[in-house]
Amino acid sequence: MPAPTERDVDLKRTYDAVVVGSGAAGGMAAHVLTSHGMKVLLLEAGKKLDIEKELKSMEWPYEHPRRGGLPPDSHALSRNEYTFRKPPYAKGLPNKHVYSYVEGWSGADYSKNIVVDEKDNPYTGTNYAWVRARCLGGKTNIWGRLALRLSDYDFKAASRDGYGEDWPISYTDIAPYYDKVDLYLGIAGHPENLPYLPDSLFQRSTRLNTAEVKLRESLAGMGRVLTPYRAGVTTDGLKHNKYRSRCFGRGACDRHTGGCDIHAAFDSPTGLIYPAMDTGNLTLRTNSTVYEVLVDKNTGKARGVAFVDSQTGKNYEAKAKVVVLGASTLESARLMLLSKSRFHPNGIGNSSGHVGHNFCEHIMGPSVTGLVKELVGKPRTLDDGRPAGFYVPRFRNLADRQSNFIRGYGFEGDSGTHMFPGHASSTPGFGAAYKKKVRDYAGAFISMGAFGEVLPRYENYVDIDANVKDRWGIPVLRFHYHFGDNEKKMAADMADTAREMFVAAGIEIIGVDRDTLPEGWSIHELGTSRMGNDSKTSVLNQFQQSHDVPNLLVVDGSSHVNASCQNPTWTIMALCWRSCDHLADQVQKGEV
Amino acid sequence: MSSDIERRELFKIAAATAYAAKFGVAQEQQRFFTPQEFVVVDELAEIIIPADDHSPGARAAGAAAYIDARLAESREADKKALWRKGVQLVNQVSLQMHGKTFLETAPAQRAAVVERMAQNEEEPKSPEEMFFKELKRATVNAYYTSKIGIHQEMEYKGNVMLNQFVGTELP
Repeated sequence: MPAPTERDVDLKRTYDAVVVGSGAAGGMAAHVLTSHGMKVLLLEAGKKLDIEKELKSMEWPYEHPRRGGLPPDSHALSRNEYTFRKPPYAKGLPNKHVYSYVEGWSGADYSKNIVVDEKDNPYTGTNYAWVRARCLGGKTNIWGRLALRLSDYDFKAASRDGYGEDWPISYTDIAPYYDKVDLYLGIAGHPENLPYLPDSLFQRSTRLNTAEVKLRESLAGMGRVLTPYRAGVTTDGLKHNKYRSRCFGRGACDRHTGGCDIHAAFDSPTGLIYPAMDTGNLTLRTNSTVYEVLVDKNTGKARGVAFVDSQTGKNYEAKAKVVVLGASTLESARLMLLSKSRFHPNGIGNSSGHVGHNFCEHIMGPSVTGLVKELVGKPRTLDDGRPAGFYVPRFRNLADRQSNFIRGYGFEGDSGTHMFPGHASSTPGFGAAYKKKVRDYAGAFISMGAFGEVLPRYENYVDIDANVKDRWGIPVLRFHYHFGDNEKKMAADMADTAREMFVAAGIEIIGVDRDTLPEGWSIHELGTSRMGNDSKTSVLNQFQQSHDVPNLLVVDGSSHVNASCQNPTWTIMALCWRSCDHLADQVQKGEV
Repeated sequence: MSSDIERRELFKIAAATAYAAKFGVAQEQQRFFTPQEFVVVDELAEIIIPADDHSPGARAAGAAAYIDARLAESREADKKALWRKGVQLVNQVSLQMHGKTFLETAPAQRAAVVERMAQNEEEPKSPEEMFFKELKRATVNAYYTSKIGIHQEMEYKGNVMLNQFVGTELP
């Protein structure tokens, strides 16, 4: 189904709301506000892509001139460059285009127009692997699709272990909105009835293969769980959405850098924005890079935004009764800090001085790879015809109390045959015996890697570097961010427990990686404008509304009070839905 | 003097071409490698992933031509130098071991040359060992993303429309 026709942008009128950013947060804001009849202008910094032509989900490697690889004038930053060089990483490189590390994966040629060119979008400060997507839908075009709920183990973590702040909401506040997201967008999974990882309203689950069932059964004996990947993918279809097909297990999400050209995997354009356009209430303007939230010179309230057309370089203003930021955790912080005025000398919504601070994410790196010997030499099976493999939810600091770290981590894993035998390069030798070994072992490997909670700390923050500007002349972000002691101790435990679980299941250990990946690698940055009840120590109230400026909302990951260890997208969308419902109610009552 | 070099070069090219004809190597696409280098790389790739009774090998899969095309468009000077030098090193190792250049030796002797280069695969130290690592990486990449590699050798069953997921349904 082709994208709906776009309405003409009218910058003379005052919209009910202007939404900045078109990813999970901005798309959801557009959906919810338009569903309440509000007239919304959605601004996206990047292009509108003909996404099906970009993704080519079913293309075989040999049909592509570089087997899915980037053109030779492009360079993807490596783990080493993020470790040993300092940002801006693209500075001084001879390549025509420089991309973040995700473009170093095979199949990256399909996403090169989705992610930003680091040459145009520099940042400074401490090392950080910052992955950004500027196009309609943002990172939802290439996301990993693991869709998890948070629980009161997360929302009330501070009460449990004494560190940091509780969220100003409980699970019961957000649960109905998780349900709405599940039903509107579709999610695949298997119910496990875990208090620390609540079930969603699942569609048909993906299935586990032999190695995964073996590990699941062994973990059950340890009081741990392995569950099919909870994928933000509609496996049964959505009757109310004509832009999305159900999943047909083509496995493309595993091979290419994300991307689903039948949109079974959730992406913001087909899941949220196109249906919102069909209400007649949504106006979309792409190539619109917002650089300031404008305020009324008498009241200090938001009156709209200033933006530059990223193609023509011309500056414009858009007027609105409410400004909703969903530009991503770091871009929204940048925009607020850039929006200085008489009323808001430290940036809009920043009387607390907390904007940009308490920045947190997930730490990655420790992982294990094992061999299930009884699968060696078995006839070939089809194991990658699904969105992804499995998830092992958190098991630390639930009933137990670890002596040297707080909070927890979960594992994402996969096993069985893939199109490309990843073990072929690491299998030693050559010749007929080597070739046979690669063939015989192809379906017998299983691996998993951890995602752990990075504690929110005031000292981890971003601010504006006025001396460095992006391609459009907008001052860039400067990072002041490091993993701390808790994360390092947690990472050591990740590697130990990963090994322990494989050994207990009788899986032969091939390798255990104990090293952490550079800061930013998880692409789960959160917390730069946290919610709270105290306007001195938080930026937003429980409805993601600025304490200082009631007609300013920040609906992306900025608002999260801690990172938990669960992937954030589903929570971003549930919170946003709740906040926008509340906003629409306030607007109706004339309270905003 | 210069004409002498030219004659020798021509002779080598003729030998390589004859060899290529014998092994069915397509020569017309090559852009980075010289004809002699191409034949050496093609033979090395086939030694790493040979034809067997299960499926054709790297030669039939066109691994050398794929590697050649990538190097021809590459902007990485270091990588290009590694390959240029690498092929020379193969001949040097062969001369050292057998007193003949790589293509002049018998198949078993060629395998012995590769064996020597592969001896420290986990932690390569000498230049020829480093070259083997890159040669194998590139060959593996080219072969297992080819039609032959995916469909005949690995019998890959995916990239198809499935009505139901494969695997165990949990109770």
